Amino acid sequence: MTTALFIIFAGLAIGCAISMVSQSNPLYSAISLIGVFLSLASLYVMLAAPFIASVQVIVYAGAIMVLVIFVIMLLNVEQSESRRKRLKFLVPLAAVMAAVLLAETVFILYTVQPGAGRLLEPTSNVGLTHSIGEGLLTRYVLPFEVTSILLLMAIVGAMSLARRSPLSATARVVPGAQVLAMDIAQPRGVEDLRAVESDTSADVARALGVDPQTIKEEG
Amino acid sequence: MGPQLSWYLVLSAVLFTIGAAGVIVKRNVIAMFMCIELMLNAVNLTFVAFSSFFQDVSGQLFVFIVMTVAAAEAAVGLGIIIAIFRNRESLDVDDASIMKL
Repeated sequence: MTTALFIIFAGLAIGCAISMVSQSNPLYSAISLIGVFLSLASLYVMLAAPFIASVQVIVYAGAIMVLVIFVIMLLNVEQSESRRKRLKFLVPLAAVMAAVLLAETVFILYTVQPGAGRLLEPTSNVGLTHSIGEGLLTRYVLPFEVTSILLLMAIVGAMSLARRSPLSATARVVPGAQVLAMDIAQPRGVEDLRAVESDTSADVARALGVDPQTIKEEG
Repeated sequence: MGPQLSWYLVLSAVLFTIGAAGVIVKRNVIAMFMCIELMLNAVNLTFVAFSSFFQDVSGQLFVFIVMTVAAAEAAVGLGIIIAIFRNRESLDVDDASIMKL
């Protein structure tokens, strides 16, 4: 029974992973990645780790992937870019390196003796929330605190990275609509940072009341 | 007889290999980011498998820490991706081949 479940979820995970790599649309690969996360969560349940399984669903499939999909949709990039100027050797290189990694795995499996270790009985409390919390706040309290500092640094770093600086010549275009500041359209008129949102340059020219040629030169 | 430890290790190795190959093959920076997440998850599976088979909770604590690191990586990495897109108007890594923004 557990063998059948393992085969089902392992096949699901590998299939979703291959689908993730082979999709060209990042949104589809994100959805395939969610499939990998969910099947891994099922495997965690089979490994008697219910806390990690629920955190996997909540944090990975929930929070992180929502963030990724949000960014994919925010940066709505055209998909039909032609396959141009890609370094030719990268695909064979990937195949060779994947073969090497798998060969290492096979080597280890054939040389290392299957030793001790059997799946723990259901009565064991390893993997329950109680034992994990106990471990985090006693033996591993230093890594726990360091992780909290890391998260604080990530919050500050992400904010300072993604913050939009005052409109500069390189910050004209934001996802969704073209945004032109008055001082970009008319370089003389400094101090006027009024942003204009529109979909085409002609609309911007009309809104600003300037010659459309002026804007075109800026691009 | 249920699944053996080696089965989980093989599954984890296969997932890691797919992720590593994906990082090399893909050129969309968001897709590369997701391949890195897949590799992190493959390592997490190894941790949980060892933790369960050796009845030691430490492995699952490391998974917990790896997950927080992955969340921090997601926040900072996506911030960098947005900054790159704002400067280059492209998500192709080939367009971001120089460090200067």
